[in-house]
Amino acid sequence: MRRIFCVAQFTFRELIRSNMLYIWFLSVVVFSALAFILSVLSFGEVQKIFMDLGLVGMEFSGLLVLILSLAVTYNTEFDQKAIYLQLAKPITRGEYLLGRVFGFFTVISLVVIGMGLFIAGLVILVGQGQVPFLFVDSTIFLLIEMFVLTVLGLTFQMIGTSMVGVVLYTMFTIFLGHGIGQVDWLLNQKLAPTVKTMLRIVHFLLPNLEAFNLKDRIYDPNLVLGWTQWQEVLLYAFAYSFVVFLIGWINLEKREFM
Amino acid sequence: MTTPSNLAIHIEGLSKTYKTGFWFKPKITHALNNLTLDVYEKEAFGLLGLNGAGKTTAIKIILGFLAPTAGSVQVLGGKISDREVRNQIGYLSELPYFSRQHTGRELLEYFGSLHGFSGSTLQHRVDEVLELVRMSKASREKVSGYSKGMLQRIGIGQALIGKPKLLICDEPMSGLDPVGYKEMRDIFIDLKKMGTTLFLNTHIMDEVERVCDRIGILHGGQLREVASVSDILQSSVHVDYWVDVDSQDASRLAGTPFQKSIAENGGVQITGSSLSETLNLLNQRQVKTKGLRPLSSVMEAYFLKSIAGQSSTESGRASK
Repeated sequence: MRRIFCVAQFTFRELIRSNMLYIWFLSVVVFSALAFILSVLSFGEVQKIFMDLGLVGMEFSGLLVLILSLAVTYNTEFDQKAIYLQLAKPITRGEYLLGRVFGFFTVISLVVIGMGLFIAGLVILVGQGQVPFLFVDSTIFLLIEMFVLTVLGLTFQMIGTSMVGVVLYTMFTIFLGHGIGQVDWLLNQKLAPTVKTMLRIVHFLLPNLEAFNLKDRIYDPNLVLGWTQWQEVLLYAFAYSFVVFLIGWINLEKREFM
Repeated sequence: MTTPSNLAIHIEGLSKTYKTGFWFKPKITHALNNLTLDVYEKEAFGLLGLNGAGKTTAIKIILGFLAPTAGSVQVLGGKISDREVRNQIGYLSELPYFSRQHTGRELLEYFGSLHGFSGSTLQHRVDEVLELVRMSKASREKVSGYSKGMLQRIGIGQALIGKPKLLICDEPMSGLDPVGYKEMRDIFIDLKKMGTTLFLNTHIMDEVERVCDRIGILHGGQLREVASVSDILQSSVHVDYWVDVDSQDASRLAGTPFQKSIAENGGVQITGSSLSETLNLLNQRQVKTKGLRPLSSVMEAYFLKSIAGQSSTESGRASK
């Protein structure tokens, strides 16, 4: 456990010093500019605009940190072979991978939570409104999504043979994972059995990122999140991350370092 | 498999084959071919070979970075996958690369913590290692500002942080300037005195001569020979000598069996001879010698003799 913490701490420091927090500043600037422009154009819905834009900004900044971190660390660890010296140490490859996951996730969480606090502050101070209760739930769901995507991205890093490949796989999966609703819709249509089977496989393999999406429903008065929904989301995220992590671990164990 | 307890590395019948190219027309490269080798505890062993001879492949298999096609490796009496075995090994890769965002000290702290050190023990060990690799002053600077020699020293530092019984280095002198080279060599000599087993993969003959007890010569993925350095240095390996003589004396050496060329200003290159034979020849011919220097080292001549028969430009890999 101590070794996992050491890898996580090392990764965290590496990413923070690679200026990943600038993404937070960038997101804040872009978000503020957009929010200002749209609030001027809108009539009386300033808080809602701040909230909607803010939630998109939180997800966007988290994903940007993930993608850039994957690219930066792939270059250091695999292209420049910094991983060699670490794996020669008394640490298992599973511990190494788990440490990386926690290191990545901590940085992404910092950015997402930082952005969330900024939005909440903006809604309260500038919009003179209240932060909806579901905003907290939505942020936690977003963090769970980020955890799943971190595990997925790092697994692609363990499998991939190039930085571009890792980034593209991850981006493609994020895109498809958010479009899982369309796959569901297709499955309900009249299609050839072979196509349906293929779609079911795709549905099973892709992360259902819509399960973590609360941002569109934050102002829905009928939405009540019960313990059952929380359990479902947590269980799905844990199970999916666990399986993906195992795949990444097995690949890292079997990977030959030429 | 049982091995003598004084073996640091025991390699038996190790082979590695790479398949490249298209699946229907693969190119098979034999990087290592039936390598059998023992390295004893507390000795300094040098694995010599041309580029592509299979030295790095051997090290990568020893460290578990590559899986062998055939054969087995035992390190410190166990398997490299055992955490306890890896805890006793230090590894320095060729041109080590570190995250540029950390200081030298932070890197050593990280690698030390992977060895299980923590708190004041870790700090104390880091200080010790920084002192040993002469990096105490620059330890709080970011690695991005380090020279190649400093990086190499931090590299050796991270390899030593766990107080290894066995130190494996892949081309440790690569890219070093003469000062860095001497410092690195001195570190190896110190480590040897402290009883650390050294396994050096190199093609720098001077390093081998001064540091190693035994050498193995790898060529085309095959181990050509294993010999002790002292035996090689005392052997009658023929090297070329340059003899400075007066121009009138130079003619006395003309036609001798060893003479290769005579310079106009009175220098003579004597080839294919040992030192004693050269001195005897000069004595017999009553040549006044102003100076005598070998044109290559005994180790170099021994190495070249060992791999003779194949072009040095050849990659050394047997492929089909």
